[in-house]
Amino acid sequence: MEIPTSAVNEDARRRAEDDVLAAMVDQYAGALYRVAYSVLRNPADAEDAVQEAFLRVLRHRHTLEEVRDRRVWLIRIVWNIVLDRKRRSKTRPETDDVAELARVLPSTGLSAEEIAAAAQHHARVLACVDRLPVKERQVLMLSAFEELSSVEIATVLGITESSVRSRLFRARNLMAELLDHTRSLR
Amino acid sequence: MNSNPHNPKTPDSGLSPAEETLRLVASVPAPEGLEDRVHAALRIAPRTARVFAWPKVFRPENNWIRATAAAAIVFVIAGGGWGVYTRVERNQPAKVIVMPPRAPEAGGFSGAGAIRVPQTLPGPTAPQPAKANPARPKAVTKAAGRAKTKTSSVIGRPSALGEGSSQPDASK
Repeated sequence: MEIPTSAVNEDARRRAEDDVLAAMVDQYAGALYRVAYSVLRNPADAEDAVQEAFLRVLRHRHTLEEVRDRRVWLIRIVWNIVLDRKRRSKTRPETDDVAELARVLPSTGLSAEEIAAAAQHHARVLACVDRLPVKERQVLMLSAFEELSSVEIATVLGITESSVRSRLFRARNLMAELLDHTRSLR
Repeated sequence: MNSNPHNPKTPDSGLSPAEETLRLVASVPAPEGLEDRVHAALRIAPRTARVFAWPKVFRPENNWIRATAAAAIVFVIAGGGWGVYTRVERNQPAKVIVMPPRAPEAGGFSGAGAIRVPQTLPGPTAPQPAKANPARPKAVTKAAGRAKTKTSSVIGRPSALGEGSSQPDASK
């Protein structure tokens, strides 16, 4: 939905911006929530981050016309918000406990024991992901979103596409080593 | 694990456990009513970070108040400039005494290049000390002082008079 350039009246222009913003909320709130949740792993914090992202957009709504790809732009905003929140809440304990994962992750057709085992496995993997270097971890997490291409990941992170590919390669190798090491300890 | 860095998102590539888990996390559905809550938050949010709100008459949307303000600014600047312009005195003659040119007299005396040297200020003069009567001799002054001392001691002690005293002894 585009803002009509012929809207000379200020009120009409404001209404048009509000309509654009409302459409963006309906279209992208879910995707932004998933991005936020993948970093914060807390439903309430992820929802707060989404709201904060749209409030930022509201404050800068007059620049909406200049944005070329609003989806990537919004993901970049929420990505920066969640990284900032994660940095600030480093002193707090991690909230990605096994019970929370078991509640959130899809588990159709699994028994209770299988759900618990899967949740434990995912918790171990996520712990290994958290041990990756920041740059590699960020690329790996964003690559999990199937709707984001390498170019879009590069746009979100502000790096080149070749950097995305090389970091992803390093991240996968490191993850394999970390998981092997974890398995050998058990 | 797909180790090809140039094709990280091949659909049929086998995913590592990490990527499987991350994809599961990334596919978590948004909670019910998320959009409605965001809409509500946007409705109650202040539109701009405004500390002081102008009254409706003075809102910047009103063009007439903008024009009035611009006219007032122009009036103040122009009036101030005119006031300064009218107060400044123009063509004020310079306060310089022009000496008439001295035409050298033909056949007369010349100054021979003499330069007048101005008189310097008179130097400070110390006052002369007043002399104490230089005609009076110094010895006379000394003797007079001694006699005065002796007379005063005799008057103060009458019983201690020795021989040669001019006073008669009452006990004899």
